[in-house]
Amino acid sequence: MAGTGKGQKLFLGLVFLILYAPIFFLIFYSFNSGGTMTSFESFTWEHYAAVFEDTRLIMIVFNTVIVALLSSLLATTIGVLGALAIVYMKNRKLRSTLLSLNNVLIVSPDVIIGASFLILFTALGVKLGFTSVLVSHVAFSVPIVVLMVLPKLLEMSNSLIDAARDLGASGKDVLTRVIIPYIKPGIFAGFFLALTYSLDDFAVTFFVTGNGFSTLSVEIYSMARAGITLTINALSGLLFIVTVGLVLGYYALNRRSKTLFTGVKR
Amino acid sequence: MTKQPIIRFDGVSKRYGDDATILDDISFEMERGKFYTLLGPSGCGKTTILRLIAGFIEPTAGQILFDGKNINDVPPNERQVNTVFQDYALFPHLNVFENVAFGLRIKKVKGPEVKRRVEEALRFVNLEGYGGREISEMSGGQRQRVAIARAIVNDPEVILLDEPLSALDLKLRTEMQYELRELQQRLGKTFIFVTHDQEEALAMSDEIFVMNAGQIIQSGTPIDIYDEPISRFVADFIGESNIVDGVMIRDQLVLFAGKEFECVDAGLDPNEKIEVVIRPEDLEITSPEKGKLVVTVDTQLFRGVHYELSTYDKDGNEWLVHSTKKAQVGDEIGLDFDPEAIHVMRLNESEEDFDRRLESYEVTGHAE
Repeated sequence: MAGTGKGQKLFLGLVFLILYAPIFFLIFYSFNSGGTMTSFESFTWEHYAAVFEDTRLIMIVFNTVIVALLSSLLATTIGVLGALAIVYMKNRKLRSTLLSLNNVLIVSPDVIIGASFLILFTALGVKLGFTSVLVSHVAFSVPIVVLMVLPKLLEMSNSLIDAARDLGASGKDVLTRVIIPYIKPGIFAGFFLALTYSLDDFAVTFFVTGNGFSTLSVEIYSMARAGITLTINALSGLLFIVTVGLVLGYYALNRRSKTLFTGVKR
Repeated sequence: MTKQPIIRFDGVSKRYGDDATILDDISFEMERGKFYTLLGPSGCGKTTILRLIAGFIEPTAGQILFDGKNINDVPPNERQVNTVFQDYALFPHLNVFENVAFGLRIKKVKGPEVKRRVEEALRFVNLEGYGGREISEMSGGQRQRVAIARAIVNDPEVILLDEPLSALDLKLRTEMQYELRELQQRLGKTFIFVTHDQEEALAMSDEIFVMNAGQIIQSGTPIDIYDEPISRFVADFIGESNIVDGVMIRDQLVLFAGKEFECVDAGLDPNEKIEVVIRPEDLEITSPEKGKLVVTVDTQLFRGVHYELSTYDKDGNEWLVHSTKKAQVGDEIGLDFDPEAIHVMRLNESEEDFDRRLESYEVTGHAE
């Protein structure tokens, strides 16, 4: 950032201010005892207390976390295997086709993914609820994991695999002792990203949830429709903090792995 | 020690698809405990031979025998061969100790034994006490040693080295040449070294295989190959040389540069067209009257150990001269040389015919 002038810094600051202002505005009023978002009366924790007193809400938070953890774990496993398959695929045409299909899934709108899953589940007669949400979360997380793991795999020199084979490693040894440790930073990055995507997903979940099962984002949406209460603000604030925490964790991991690997230049 | 060659190639070819022939019907034997070098320009197939021995690729045709057994279908992890890779291929997620221990861990060798053997291997390559370091903390030369230690710790019959010195600077490279040669002699293992650097090949090898375009052009000791190159390609590739066209008048008499000279070569047809090689260091500067050849000095470069003179005779042949004596550019000088300095090459002679012809007259007094 050495080269940026004062004007550029000011502009950047302004952009970030505008981007973050609504969130901070919302969090600010979560401490308002007045009960509205128009005038700030005095500081209170009561909305946060209300969040924690609401057992239904706590249950939903619990659901959200379970779905996020499970789906990102599953997606990481599938994604890593998928990335391996793509990289070590002999057929170049199939390889690039799979890669494009993977990227299409990342850019395609959540609404479309959600709607198509809804159609699929209905056609298959799957009851909407925990399973349907979990499956669709796994589905939209897999491409993200693939995208995070692929560069690490591509960066890995083939001679590492040759060397391992040369030293007596079987196919399984090569995978567990060389490839997986090498791409570990990518796997963690993929897992964290999948986790955050799942935690704050609204569009897809909104379509495929049902039968009394709900996640936080969907619940906040329906609460907001029923009428503004500052409990929503408190909840959103908490969610925001958790997300920021996860992102920071991701960067910390990323940086650590970078310092670990930058020395390996030829 | 048995007489059985440790590695034998029997009519081995390697092709990719229909058009790209990398190796063309290659046969050779390698004995136990010797230092072999595969020498040739890039793309000549030398690395392919190494990868065939290691088992990373399979031959399209022919047999590869290891200690008398066909190993065509043996996967690399079951071969008693270890490789030192050109880019070292050290595992970045493991420290020096664990890199070296990798092969032993795979074989489930017990902990104390692993420690003993890894430390011994590190001592062998002068890296005692470096076990705890990360690979990223090691310099290029040190990584090279780790890679060697990782290969020798498994006690393989054969160690393959794929241009391992090419990434090092000149001084370190020369140092490593000594160390590798010494290491090979201490271990008594077969080393197969791949390089495009003729100096490396000459300095280290017991035997050199000169390769070009998927074939072994000539094999022999460094001295044989340097003194008796079979063809223009070998003469050009190994060291610097003066090559001129000539005619073999009869045994021990050759015509080139418009004059007849006494030489030691024999066994050729009378008046056969040949090529003559004279190494630049075999040419001695003398006065024009005493010289067997009279040439004009075109340029002179100071090379440190010697002067390198580029000179031309009146027929326009270039004669490169390495001499500790100085000359004046533009001067006419004489060049003197011994009959032994003249090496006659037959056009398109096969290696077998060449060896046979050499043997036929070497008995009758060729100074070795």
